[in-house]
Amino acid sequence: MDLVLQLLFTGIGIGAVYALVALGFVLIFRATNVVNFAQGEFSMVAAYLMVVFSVDLGWPYWLSFLLSLAGMALLGVIFNLGVYYPLRHRSFLPVIIATIGASILMANSVLAIYGPQPQVLQGWFDTPGIQLGPVYLDSQYLLIIAVTIALVIFNYWFFEHTMLGKKLQATSQDKEMASLLGISVSTMIMLTFIYSAVLGGLAGILVAPVLFVSIQMGSTIALKAFAATIIGGFGDVTGAIIGGLALGVIETFGAAYISVPYKDGFAFLVLILFLVFRPQGIFGERVAEKA
Amino acid sequence: MALLDIRDLVVRYGEIEALRGVSLTVDPGQVVTLLGANGAGKSTTLRAISGLTKPASGEILFDGKPIAGLGPETIVRLGISHVPEGRRIFPGLTVKENIMLGGSNRRAAPSELSREADAMFDLFPDIRKFSGALGWTLSGGQLQMVAVARGLMAKPRLLLLDEPSLGLAPVIVQALFKIIAEIRRTTTVLLVEQNARMGLSVADYGYVLETGRIVLGGKPDELWGNEAIAAAYLGGHAKISA
Repeated sequence: MDLVLQLLFTGIGIGAVYALVALGFVLIFRATNVVNFAQGEFSMVAAYLMVVFSVDLGWPYWLSFLLSLAGMALLGVIFNLGVYYPLRHRSFLPVIIATIGASILMANSVLAIYGPQPQVLQGWFDTPGIQLGPVYLDSQYLLIIAVTIALVIFNYWFFEHTMLGKKLQATSQDKEMASLLGISVSTMIMLTFIYSAVLGGLAGILVAPVLFVSIQMGSTIALKAFAATIIGGFGDVTGAIIGGLALGVIETFGAAYISVPYKDGFAFLVLILFLVFRPQGIFGERVAEKA
Repeated sequence: MALLDIRDLVVRYGEIEALRGVSLTVDPGQVVTLLGANGAGKSTTLRAISGLTKPASGEILFDGKPIAGLGPETIVRLGISHVPEGRRIFPGLTVKENIMLGGSNRRAAPSELSREADAMFDLFPDIRKFSGALGWTLSGGQLQMVAVARGLMAKPRLLLLDEPSLGLAPVIVQALFKIIAEIRRTTTVLLVEQNARMGLSVADYGYVLETGRIVLGGKPDELWGNEAIAAAYLGGHAKISA
């Protein structure tokens, strides 16, 4: 029982990272009808920005954190202007290919600067964790979970209770109609890219102390997050969060009880099962509303 | 001076010429109805005015200023509100949110938009009780009411209505045209209709569009008087003389 609780905690912690990246996938998909295959690289770039500010320059952790997020917001702007905007009137295919190209560019730029060896980033807290009854709560995982909860609440408030959130929703549901009402569609899409880049970056910064900071971390996280969006029901915000958490828990339990080397395999096994038996995902019906 | 003055408007979709030199004017305070069969170019005319479709040539003057080629976000800020074909209510937002978003062309605080949306239900009492319902749950008639209410939230000087009666039960069409008669007291309207009888009942002036060209324009009774037109578009019984 103790082990179950311990695994559940770790699983939710890692699942929260997938959930943040999955949320970024879904928000961009809803705004542009395109899957952003560079979403994972946002996490990777943000983790390396942390290494630059916090490790290489030795600046305070909180300052590095804020600067990295600001850097991600800027990357969101550049990504929107450089990758999406010029192709916005084309079909989805050129845009998807452009996002793949951008992800290769980002990974190889970082590779050119830092080389292939992984970097190490310290966690936010000096205390490694606290013992709560039978469960050991790792401080970094606690931080990840707390930030994710805060973001989910923020996300809900923002989209349900602000005019800007409503305009973003309107834009994702019917761009032409939104423009007829005077909503600046290109601004809304720009904001979506900024928000998604920051979300992905946040996930990368939070998970970096748990993993190593490496060129591959982006694609690993993105694949899991993408699987999470399909499990949750593609295009559904709640589904992305639930799917991400579920995937984290499943792979943690799979690693503990079945096989550690096949840890990554469990996520994709679940993905395949969903694709075969419930391709619309957990919250699939609600996606149909968007049509 | 005319509020809207369209001169020689040409719109092409690829090889197809949808409008082949349309000219029409709408004076302030008028309701002008644009009649015509499917594919005559009625919707295209409205899309060109609101900026959804870029004209190939010709002029569109709003209040004397050229607006052809401007984007829809700019044109609605100038005071032209387009309620497009098919209502286009955001399905995942509530009725009230849909209506509030209609004021996106103006600088207004959300609390102000909320108050204005509530006031809008006085004109559309039938949809008041659906204020909190999501767009996709509404019937066609309710959707059309929301669409017109949303269009009015822009506080337009010119309201473009595209086939508001399409697919609605006669009793709802009548309620809708009662509202349009109400709207005309404060707002100039360019109305596109296939239902000629209803369309002309509220109009000061009518145009008949045929395969991208204006073939006739006149006051409603003059249009009724034209036998060929009455037969072809207005459901009259006279024989068409070649």
